[in-house]
Amino acid sequence: MLPVSYYLIVSAIVFSIGVYGVMTLRSGIMIMMCVELMLNAANINLIAFASHFNQVNGHVFVLFSIALAAAEAAIGFAILMNIFRSNKNVNIDNINILRW
Amino acid sequence: MDFGSLAFLIVALPVLAFVLTLAFGNRLPNGGGHIPIVAIAMSFIISVLIFLQIYPNHGTVEQSAHWFSVLNVGIFIDPLAIVMLMMVTFVSLLIHIYALGYMSHDPGQTRYFAETALFTAAMLGVVLADNILQFFIAWELVGLCSYLLIGFWFRKPSAAAAAKKAFLTTRVGDVLFLAGIVILYFNMYTHVLPVVGGHETVYLLQFKTIFENLTLIPTDQLTIITLLFFGGAVGKSGQFPLHVWLPDAMEGPTTVSALIHAATMVTAGVYLVARTFPMFIAAPESLIIVALVGGFTALFASTMGLVMNDIKRVLAFSTISQLGYMMMGLGVGAIIGAEAVGFAMFHLINHAFFKACLFLCAGSVIHAVGTNDLREMGGLFGKMKITATTMLISSLALAGIGIPVSIGAIKLGTSGFVSKDAIILEGAYSYFAHGGVYGSLIFFFGVAAALLTSIYTFRLWFMAFTGKPRQERHAHEAPSTMTGPLIILATLALVFGALTFSPFIHYLETTYENEFFEEIDPNGYIHGLAERAGYHIPEHPIVHLDLAHDTLIMMLPVIAGLLGLAISWAIYHKRMFSVASIGNMRNPLFRILAKRYYQHEIFIELISLKFTYGVLALTSEFSDRKIVDGTIDAISSFFIGGAEVLKKIQTGVVQNYATATVLGVALIALVLSWGVI
Repeated sequence: MLPVSYYLIVSAIVFSIGVYGVMTLRSGIMIMMCVELMLNAANINLIAFASHFNQVNGHVFVLFSIALAAAEAAIGFAILMNIFRSNKNVNIDNINILRW
Repeated sequence: MDFGSLAFLIVALPVLAFVLTLAFGNRLPNGGGHIPIVAIAMSFIISVLIFLQIYPNHGTVEQSAHWFSVLNVGIFIDPLAIVMLMMVTFVSLLIHIYALGYMSHDPGQTRYFAETALFTAAMLGVVLADNILQFFIAWELVGLCSYLLIGFWFRKPSAAAAAKKAFLTTRVGDVLFLAGIVILYFNMYTHVLPVVGGHETVYLLQFKTIFENLTLIPTDQLTIITLLFFGGAVGKSGQFPLHVWLPDAMEGPTTVSALIHAATMVTAGVYLVARTFPMFIAAPESLIIVALVGGFTALFASTMGLVMNDIKRVLAFSTISQLGYMMMGLGVGAIIGAEAVGFAMFHLINHAFFKACLFLCAGSVIHAVGTNDLREMGGLFGKMKITATTMLISSLALAGIGIPVSIGAIKLGTSGFVSKDAIILEGAYSYFAHGGVYGSLIFFFGVAAALLTSIYTFRLWFMAFTGKPRQERHAHEAPSTMTGPLIILATLALVFGALTFSPFIHYLETTYENEFFEEIDPNGYIHGLAERAGYHIPEHPIVHLDLAHDTLIMMLPVIAGLLGLAISWAIYHKRMFSVASIGNMRNPLFRILAKRYYQHEIFIELISLKFTYGVLALTSEFSDRKIVDGTIDAISSFFIGGAEVLKKIQTGVVQNYATATVLGVALIALVLSWGVI
């Protein structure tokens, strides 16, 4: 059985990719995908520790987390659809009207 | 029946008259002028009843109630107050009756009668007050009413300006008076309260408490307090240098001038000094200043009276001058003790009669010829016999014509003569004879002012009533509501002083020399207080002059009066000399007098415009705008500028916020792990 640190390293890499993507990418859809990456990195952590400590709590948390991610994606994409209708694209850079 | 319990009605009735006249006057004949007349007549009757009740045993009326649990409100009637009450109600009553005729054509007569009723009530409130704060409140009401009445014809710019001037000038004095009250309360609180008991703050400002505990207050503090009080009196009573408002106050109706100059307002200042006389005598330096200011004012004002051509202005300057005499009479109390109050109050009462009469006569003349200018009058004697005669009698009283002998208790002479003589001879001369440093100066002021008073008084009378008529106008005698009061007042001006001199003085003396005050000092209250301050009042302070030995001294005021009469008669009636050669603007002396010592230039242009506006107001304006506002503006512009820079962070791009969040979390993680790793 692989040591828990291997899982954690994979999770950290996935999380970092997600953070980098959220900070740099322009497309709203890509940002949504990066947010999903970050959530799943957390899920990997939860599962890894649940299996390591042989407990069921982590599994339950992950199920909640997936449900949450599904809801978030549904709302997020609905917003993006509306942005697309008004702007003809989903570039987040252009959505800066809530500024000084 | 105890009439003392009705004392509050003396004030309450005129106040009620004020309300009723204001509310219903428009629907009544004469603008509701009968309401105040009835109210003031009843006040007068109550005053007389109280006087008859307390006169035989020199009693007092004292009533007091708590007010706001830290102060008291009350009524205090002693000999000093009761004679004032009777004088104010009586003279005010006659002036109100006269005003029925005088104001009959004025559309604002309802407002007039309401305001004069309140004016009278305020003055009665001053007289009745049993503590200094209540005194001050009524005092301020008097000032307010004088403002309203001087500016009665407020559509006339000069009247509005005169009202403003009167209000602001007296305000200078009022501020000093209030400062005196504050210092007095402070002293009462620190020095007297521990002695009389810790719960008695209610009565701390009551005259009785103040007088009973005067010895506990340090003399230097008393000097400051009394000088500040005198500052208030200077403003209200038109003493130098705050006399400037009084001649301008002539802009009101003539009846208002009579009310201000005789019964109410200006006598309030003299009454203040008389009311707080024990405080003054415990600080004799103040009294000497009172005497000097009074004497100087008497002379100073009479020089300006010489050259005025407005009939009312001549009388205004004579009022200032006569008030100076009263102050002088009080001031010499530093030597002659409590009898000074009697002399000053006697002159005050007599002055009220003859000055009210003079003003009402002047009003009658103005009513008839339609001008204030003496140069346009003349030859009115034949047309207005009653006015001319009553004015002659009151002029004789003002000039102080009489014979310095007495038959029993009766003095031969007009009332002005009796009281002025008492102030000059028994007051100022006693001060002189006992070696008071300023005695000779005060005596000189008194005699010189008497001469000038006589000259300008008869100048006025000769110019108005004798000679050829200088304008074509059918002057006619006034109606009987106007001549009636004139006759009553002229009679009093003629005989009141002669008949009542000694009883009056003796009665007034009991104000401050009775059993109540002897509790404090077994040697007599007033003397003990003065000696405590290092002053010695002689055993027999008043020098009684004998006609056989001191003929010249005793004749001096009379000679001054007769000489003035002769000069006026020669110049203005017989026209033996022409004054045109000296009485023109090329003569520097005449120019100074006619310009009234450049008071307008000094007070308005130098003090008001240059100093108050140019220096004080502009400095305050600069410091307010640049320093105070500048500080506030600098603080706000710092934050506004900072916000201008910082707000750029809010780019509106969500990713920037996300970046900041990530960096922040990273920073927190770094800090938290510092000690761990």
